[in-house]
Amino acid sequence: MMWSEKHRPQNISDMIGNEEARTAFVEWFAKWKKGTKPILLVGPPGIGKTTISNLAGKQFGYDMISLNASDVRTKSRITQVLTPVLGNITVLGCPMIFVDEVDGIHGRADFGGAEALIKILKEPTIPIVLGANSDTSDKMKSIKKVVKTIYFRPLPPRLLRLCLENILKREGAKLSPGSLIKIIDESRGDIRSMINSAQAHVTGFNPPTERSFETLDVETGVNAFFKANSIDEARSVIYSMSINPREKINAFYSTIITSNLSKEESGKMLEVLSEADMLYGKIMKTQEWRLLRYLDEILLGLYKKGTSIRYSRYNLSWSLLNRLRWDGRTIKALISALAKNMHVSKSTFATFYFPYILFMIKNKQLDLELEENYGEIIEKEIERLK
Amino acid sequence: MPSNIMWVEKYRPTKLTEVIDQKEIISSLQSLLKNQAEMPHLLFSGSAGVGKTTVALCISKQVLDDRWQTYTLELNASDERGINMVRERVKKFSRYAGLEDIPFKIIILDEADEMTADAQTALRRIIEDTSEHCRFILIANNISKIITPIQSRCAVFKFTTIPEKMIVSHLKSITKKEKIKSDDKGLETVSDYSGGDLRHAINLLQATASLGEVSEANVKASAGLTKTKDVTGVLKLALDGKLTNARNKMIELIKVYGMSESDFLKYINRAVFETKANNISEILETIAKYDYRILVGSNPEIQLSALLAELGKFGKK
Repeated sequence: MMWSEKHRPQNISDMIGNEEARTAFVEWFAKWKKGTKPILLVGPPGIGKTTISNLAGKQFGYDMISLNASDVRTKSRITQVLTPVLGNITVLGCPMIFVDEVDGIHGRADFGGAEALIKILKEPTIPIVLGANSDTSDKMKSIKKVVKTIYFRPLPPRLLRLCLENILKREGAKLSPGSLIKIIDESRGDIRSMINSAQAHVTGFNPPTERSFETLDVETGVNAFFKANSIDEARSVIYSMSINPREKINAFYSTIITSNLSKEESGKMLEVLSEADMLYGKIMKTQEWRLLRYLDEILLGLYKKGTSIRYSRYNLSWSLLNRLRWDGRTIKALISALAKNMHVSKSTFATFYFPYILFMIKNKQLDLELEENYGEIIEKEIERLK
Repeated sequence: MPSNIMWVEKYRPTKLTEVIDQKEIISSLQSLLKNQAEMPHLLFSGSAGVGKTTVALCISKQVLDDRWQTYTLELNASDERGINMVRERVKKFSRYAGLEDIPFKIIILDEADEMTADAQTALRRIIEDTSEHCRFILIANNISKIITPIQSRCAVFKFTTIPEKMIVSHLKSITKKEKIKSDDKGLETVSDYSGGDLRHAINLLQATASLGEVSEANVKASAGLTKTKDVTGVLKLALDGKLTNARNKMIELIKVYGMSESDFLKYINRAVFETKANNISEILETIAKYDYRILVGSNPEIQLSALLAELGKFGKK
């Protein structure tokens, strides 16, 4: 179960922060009578607007009917949902309405939804509570004319810490001081998000360290991936590797290709990498970056518990790497120059001309009068002829 | 006295009338060239070493005379990096210098079938934009890989394989001119190894001659030098499950010598038939799978390594 649901306060007095706003809200409820202006709660997400409405409704004996922006998009829908509530009180006992995200009702797209809502707000027969993240849009201004507004502020770190430590204690979980501060800091006063990331952090990555919550560099990431104790841990590692997808695929490729694996294992893992590369190729060709979200899940196919695979940056032996860097450069330049003279592609030249040419030079039957600096490489390559 | 030139170049025909075989093509090209101003774009198809590039160069020499080198742009699609490189080079070439007394400039685009369908679509546009001053001669091994809009804009000539007899007699005439001793068995062996590829045959002939006479023994000592043999080696290592060795050899071929990935796949396809494996069709299916994946994916090396790893399951246990 999500901690943010599990640890939702059971009483208004259990809530933290925004004392004045809470008091004002409770007062409004206590004094509510037919015709009292509806109330608008404005504040950033995750600081308790929904929670306090639920708790207050319960405390004062109302049956709360919750709507959110998607329910009140059109005039007909609003009328359909709310008219029976507004008209016939006895059937439903003692109803109240809570409309969340009213700032999400978009002017033109919502076919009169805002106007219909305002009409209802003007003649309230039951308590109406609105929630919004901001009250600056034009539409909000017209709503604000007919309601009483209460502002909720982001929670200060001191209170967040108190709350988080409390929850961790109840869950029997631990976070290092570094992670704790980082989680609090990154939540920016959003208590729900703070609890969510704390939960993800504690259950997703074990043992928790400061590093695990930060973005992982390639080496640490690849090593932690293969050391992971469970596929979930591996998943959280791979998600926190903040390098570009090309590098990520290549890092796993160079690691796997240089690891001492059985034929079956390496075959299976390279197949996974082949699929990851295909996905990335498709993304590059179509520029459909949304497909990127599937990459990590494909790469997760590389995970196997208890392997001894460790990160390797280079996917070739030093000798081959050096040959590629030094000999390769000279050979390619030579082949490129000669291929042009022979009217063939470099690849064709390399395959069907170059070995014969070396052979003839070795037999002293050909002298192509090449530039001097190719002498050394030609001797070297002649040595390699079988 | 060592030669300072490759025989393939030394004995490359410079006039259409000197070209070996391809009689029908030569005669229809000659009638086309009677009215040069109306010469269409040309598309040559056929396997390697049958004279496509040679014929294209002959046409260029015949039309442009002693300035053929100035007014001919030779491109090889397998060497150019993408269609934008081709576009830039064609643009520069078609723009530069006047056309006082030549009918048009000639652009020879070799291995055009190495271009993706998208690149060919762009090429079609380039052909149209420059056709006032330029004629294209497109060359391809496989005409079915050329998109139809391009085919329809060109006069298409399908080159046929040169019969073995003609290859042998041509090789014989070269050995005479070079004053090299040869016997029929030796020349036939050269022809056998070259598989109808006259260019390869002449290279092998020259290599053999560097050992002395062109005898069967000397041919056999020189054959097998080509890098296609190395590709066969890669296949064998892969089938034996020796992934690291197979991969190192493959990487050497591609990254040190510059063999293209598509050539590598072409040669490995051929090599499959030389192995006496009894599951040839499954092996080919696997190669086909990764050939496709290279097209879709972004890093051919990963795909080729995965191919070599998967081939490991077909080898003898």
